[in-house]
Amino acid sequence: MRLLRSLSRLLPRLGLRARITIAFAVGALIMAVVLAAATLGLTRQNLLDQRESSATARTYQNAATAALQLPEQTDADPASAVDPTDVLASIQTPTGSNPVLVVGDRWYARSPEFGEEALPAELRDTVRGGQPALMRFDHDGATQLAVGVPIESIDGAYFEVVSLGELEETLESISISLLAAALLSTLAGAAIGWWAARRVLRPLRGIGDAAHAIATGRLETRVEASTDADLAPLADSFNEMAVALEERIQRDARFASNVSHELRSPLMTLAASIEVMQNQRDDMPERARAALDLMAADIDRFQQLVADLLEISRFDAGVMYLDLEEVRVDELVLQAVQSSTDADVPVDIDSDLAGVLVKADKRRLSRVIANLLDNAAKYGDGATRVELRRRDDAVRIAVEDDGPGVPVDDREAIFHRFNRGSSAGHRRGIDGVGLGLSLVAEHIRLHGGSVWVEDRTDGEAGARFVIELPAEAS
Amino acid sequence: MIVGTRILSVEDDERIRTAVKLALEDEGWAVEEADTGEEALNAFQRQPSDVVLIDIMLPGIDGFDVCRAIRRMSDVPIVMVTARADTHDVVAGLEAGADDYLTKPFAPKELSARIRALLRRARSSDSGSAHLRFGDLEIIPDEGVVRRSGEEIHLTKTEFRLLVELASSPGRVFSRETLLERVWGYGYFGDGRLVDVHVRRLRTKVEADAANPRHVVTVRGLGYKLQA
Repeated sequence: MRLLRSLSRLLPRLGLRARITIAFAVGALIMAVVLAAATLGLTRQNLLDQRESSATARTYQNAATAALQLPEQTDADPASAVDPTDVLASIQTPTGSNPVLVVGDRWYARSPEFGEEALPAELRDTVRGGQPALMRFDHDGATQLAVGVPIESIDGAYFEVVSLGELEETLESISISLLAAALLSTLAGAAIGWWAARRVLRPLRGIGDAAHAIATGRLETRVEASTDADLAPLADSFNEMAVALEERIQRDARFASNVSHELRSPLMTLAASIEVMQNQRDDMPERARAALDLMAADIDRFQQLVADLLEISRFDAGVMYLDLEEVRVDELVLQAVQSSTDADVPVDIDSDLAGVLVKADKRRLSRVIANLLDNAAKYGDGATRVELRRRDDAVRIAVEDDGPGVPVDDREAIFHRFNRGSSAGHRRGIDGVGLGLSLVAEHIRLHGGSVWVEDRTDGEAGARFVIELPAEAS
Repeated sequence: MIVGTRILSVEDDERIRTAVKLALEDEGWAVEEADTGEEALNAFQRQPSDVVLIDIMLPGIDGFDVCRAIRRMSDVPIVMVTARADTHDVVAGLEAGADDYLTKPFAPKELSARIRALLRRARSSDSGSAHLRFGDLEIIPDEGVVRRSGEEIHLTKTEFRLLVELASSPGRVFSRETLLERVWGYGYFGDGRLVDVHVRRLRTKVEADAANPRHVVTVRGLGYKLQA
């Protein structure tokens, strides 16, 4: 019981293939054992029956022979009496067969080993009682078959004891052969099980691969339609699921994209109108001017938010395509910083970076650097320096600031959407929308690089955002 | 800027059209409006404007068709307004004949800068070399004339300026950035596709076989050059 329970606990941990293999092996073993047992039993019975019937027939025949040779038991002429020992000697028996003759109360045996004592008392009594009988018994560890026939004419009986040792040996070698056959068929069962499991699992592997492909963003992946009646429903329902999923994701992405698109038109009107008003700014009263400036700033922010949302929805829909070209990374970083709102930040460029190329979408990467500078301005008291370093086959662009730094617990979450970090967010009001860093992360991922935040290397407080991009061989 | 330069603005959203008109008028341009492609083509046929601004998302005849139709009539600078910069729309619009593009929402001041860049005259060549020859190709910058095998070919203003720019230093390789700056007035972050599509358009006109250009040659990874 304990074994079974531990086995059942182990089984679910094994793979389906292992379990099918084990099931096939166990099935083959059970079948082989049943067949072997039946074969052995039948053979044994058959052989025994044969032995018994031949021994019985011979015993009757020999008993009749003995009865003919021995005259009726009379005490009249002892001299003329035939010696039962001679009669016994004249009886034909095969080797391994021991005749025993009883005349009156006297027992004559050809072999001293099988005399009166050797025969079971039950057999002796039955036969002496006038009934022929047959019995198997153990003698010195070997099975013997004894057949007894009463001979009335001499008030005696004739027994024959046949050794079944030879039969046992035969059965033993048969059972060894059967055991070997059982082992072989168990192995064959396991092999067939393994093969069958592989065949059964092959389409499942295809579905697994497809699921993996979908999970990694290749939403258009489908499994091949199967012609197998058992597998077709599985493949069909998988494909139905994939279609539904793709539609759902596309619908969500389209929604975000549509919303952003719809926002562009009013934004366009606002952007143009605010410019007209700004042209009249000098003629406006003080209060109107202040309101106009607020509006202008927020229209800018609104525009950025819509642009970011649209960009994010493109990532979600998997339709973000970079316009990649080989660019000199030092020039790109300098240009990006110069065209940002924070153009005076010192840029520290490794001298051995001159001419190092990266594969990049110039405008998007510059947007990434601008986002990091914006982030430093909003939450880090402004960027203190931008650093560009070569590192083996990669380049690292770091933006450092003078703020409080980013707590270790927030360093991952800060790159999630609409997350400004638990502590940093409220320090400087709620400026910015929390999409900037998530866009940074998505863009850098699409560039085949990575981005993280760490402590400043000079030991001062402040955050250090690092972008690592693979460098082109130069 | 030539005072009284007329811009035809094709946009179906009335509020946008009005606001853009107000802002462009503040910049000193004269603005005509059209709310459909058909109307735009009618207006242009009545009186060709100096610059055309087309939103490609138009009901009826779309912006690409308007662009192609105007191109057949005239070589005026065309600026198209697209929804996004990363779609095929940009390339399709440029191939339909647009000279530059902007994505919505844009600042009208930025549009003005773009238009000013497109209206710049081709750089005057050095005195004396007013007649440039590249094999069967003949360029007369001051007259705005290009001939292939003696036959005059018709280039848009921007295509012509691109060709003259390349011709200013025969055999020299011009990077996309340099061409973007000199022809379109863009800085480092200009869209290189502007150069690529214009080079493609230029080749269909100046090359005997545009698929195997002999004059306007690509130098892989570096840019373009003009040769005989």
